[in-house]
Amino acid sequence: MIQSSLESLPPGKRAKIVGYMKGGGWTYRLYQMGLTPGAVIEVVANYGKGPIIVRVMGVEIAIGRGIARRIIVEPL
Amino acid sequence: MKKYIEVAVLGQPNVGKSTLFNILTGKKVRVANWPGVTVEIHEGERIHRGHVIKFVDLPGIYGFSTTTIEERIARKYILSRQPDVVLVLVDGLNPERTMYLLIQTLEITPNVVVAITKYDVVHAHGIHINYKALEHKLGVPVIPVSATSMQGIMHLLDVIIDVAEGRKGRRDLLEVDYKELNVFIESVMEVLEKLDTSKIGFPKRWMAIRLLEGDPEIEGIVKRTLGEEALNEIINIREEIKRIYKRDPAELFSSRRFEYINELLKGIIIRASVEAKHKFITKYFYHPVAGPLISTSILLAVFIFAFTINTGFPFDIILEELGYHEIAVALEEYSIGGLMEKGFSILSGFLYKIMGESMSSHLLIDGIIGGVGAVLAFLPLIMVISLMLAILEDSGLAPRIAVGLHSLLNKIGVSGHAVFPIILGFGCNVPSIMATRAIPSLRERMRLIMTLPFIPCQARLVVILAFASALKGLNGALLILYGYVLAFIVFAIINRLLYEYDKKKGVVVEPDILLELPPIHKPILRVIWWHVWDSAKHFLIKAGTIIFVLSILIWFMTSYTPELTYTDDVSNSIAAGIAKVFAPILSPLNMSENVGWIIAFALLMGFIAKEAVVGSLTILTEANSAREAIRLLGLIDSQIAAITVFTILYVPCLATLAVIYFESRSWKVALLTILIMMSVAYIGMLITYFLSLII
Ligand SMILES: Nc1nc2c(ncn2[C@@H]2O[C@H](COP(=O)(O)OP(=O)(O)O)[C@@H](O)[C@H]2O)c(=O)[nH]1
Repeated sequence: MIQSSLESLPPGKRAKIVGYMKGGGWTYRLYQMGLTPGAVIEVVANYGKGPIIVRVMGVEIAIGRGIARRIIVEPL
Repeated sequence: MKKYIEVAVLGQPNVGKSTLFNILTGKKVRVANWPGVTVEIHEGERIHRGHVIKFVDLPGIYGFSTTTIEERIARKYILSRQPDVVLVLVDGLNPERTMYLLIQTLEITPNVVVAITKYDVVHAHGIHINYKALEHKLGVPVIPVSATSMQGIMHLLDVIIDVAEGRKGRRDLLEVDYKELNVFIESVMEVLEKLDTSKIGFPKRWMAIRLLEGDPEIEGIVKRTLGEEALNEIINIREEIKRIYKRDPAELFSSRRFEYINELLKGIIIRASVEAKHKFITKYFYHPVAGPLISTSILLAVFIFAFTINTGFPFDIILEELGYHEIAVALEEYSIGGLMEKGFSILSGFLYKIMGESMSSHLLIDGIIGGVGAVLAFLPLIMVISLMLAILEDSGLAPRIAVGLHSLLNKIGVSGHAVFPIILGFGCNVPSIMATRAIPSLRERMRLIMTLPFIPCQARLVVILAFASALKGLNGALLILYGYVLAFIVFAIINRLLYEYDKKKGVVVEPDILLELPPIHKPILRVIWWHVWDSAKHFLIKAGTIIFVLSILIWFMTSYTPELTYTDDVSNSIAAGIAKVFAPILSPLNMSENVGWIIAFALLMGFIAKEAVVGSLTILTEANSAREAIRLLGLIDSQIAAITVFTILYVPCLATLAVIYFESRSWKVALLTILIMMSVAYIGMLITYFLSLII
């Protein structure tokens, strides 16, 4: 199983969230927004710069790169 | 039977809570497509079938943790007030995610009614919800509603009464199956056994779950009531979960909740794939170069459009320069502002004719009509600007603009979350500063609270436009442009400096963004109208109260001597006496003495409300309009520009200052804001003056 950070996923790619790297105060908010481990996300936009846009449970969410870097995913 | 039925309205951000609340109560709360806007608690009543139903609009929250002020406010309300019914909204376009709050609510109270919102568009999005089956599974009423078609509203009200009177709904709390975590919950509940929950009002199981997730507030309660030892026992259980599953317990609990929702909704929600609309938006808005460009262009276009239909500006000036004098004059005359100005001058002339010259006619015409009228003339402008901003908000464009500008804003140490407070700030700094509550980073929020007052609000726009109208040709346009650009530059520089300062102190968190992007849609007319009416009302009330009283006060101070005898010569008046003390501060601007103190007086009044700068000038010069007043003072262009800049940047008005204090809970922050603004304004004024003398 190849794991990577959400930050490096190209647009259109689907992936499953595996976990979070430590640090930052955002984790609980991420859980509440549906980005819990096990959730399947789809990358809507990722230009290598600026926020990454993902879709989770049908909702689009903009995630800053600093946060995205710490989200570990498993591409599907 | 109860006289009142109290209903707390609860929902995640963007579910359509403000819209529904307005429909249910006929009240106008700010509807905004932005998380965290409902920060105060609004209430509204509705009479239905002989019952008085009081709706309480709680802040939009994702869950019941304590991560934000809003979450604490909402959960405290439900647990301590015990409303008769909690109306939980589930977004019809986003049921899985928004159910998360519903599940948690059912863990703390059984008196729940569920409304599925936006039902008018649910099917168009390929979503089908078997709400009857959901009702059956949850044991609480589930009503599909729409604020646009009004579907389900009456039925919802009926059901609320049924639940309040115990004819419908569930009796017991929902026990979510947390699977492998259930045993740990039970262990914690054993520790809590001796706790008398009837006094605290919190359900035991819920307390146990929150303790396992880590909840400082409830930990405090346990420590106070059961002692340190019991708390340590509970913390040990939490550590055990971490040891066994190698995961953060809060993460495990959230995952189990969503799994529970998924199982619950199996067969109840069917999604047909519908071609994603508005694909171009993802292509350009989120692009690192195109995004900021489109975002700024949209904001600029909004302002240019609003200015043009109100004042003819800037096309009147362009036409003039091109030699089309007549068209330019007509454009100005038939702009809304031009028509208002004419109306007031006709009214004043007419009143003088029938009342004659007397003290009461002076008070009415020069004092009240002069002061209030000069400000009222800007009402249409304010309505048009709020119309445009409302469209931005309601269509879902605003959060996209936040994403588009995020990287740019990073350079001054804030995140895309700052975009909404900034946009609001163009209207009024008070809601703008309150909207910073949704910003997750505390330091970023404090920096914004101190710098947002630099964003020129509509009151200052009134002043800018008044001064600009006194300039000839292109200079007026340039002054407005210069004023806004300067305000922005100052906003940026001060933010950056504060950021560097925080960084030195080591308290800085890199500004990052985490923002839900609701679907783009055609704005709802009713919602737009609420916005416009809301800001018009705010403006009218302000003109009718503060500005009205101020106008009388100013008239009094300018018509009476310190010995309280009536005088025709303003330079002997009370106002002159006070202002002459301050006038020397403005001496670098080289104004003649009897003009200098008038300006100083106007600026003093502007501290109470910025519009009063214009009102004071018209009253003191007995002019009919701001333009005329400034002409009568005989200021040169450089002086006008310098005073305009000073007005934009100097102290925030009293209301803003109060909100800065209440939001920061710190006199230091409030005083520091004044200090920063005063010094920046003074320097800005001098630079502007000398720069414009050279040009
Ligand atoms: N089609 C449709 N859209 C709605 C309805 N209610 C709200 N909306 C839209 O949903 C968005 C969020 O609504 P708002 O009331 O601000 O949500 P809040 O954040 O929960 O207060 C806005 O853009 C509204 O125009 C509805 O009944 N039908």
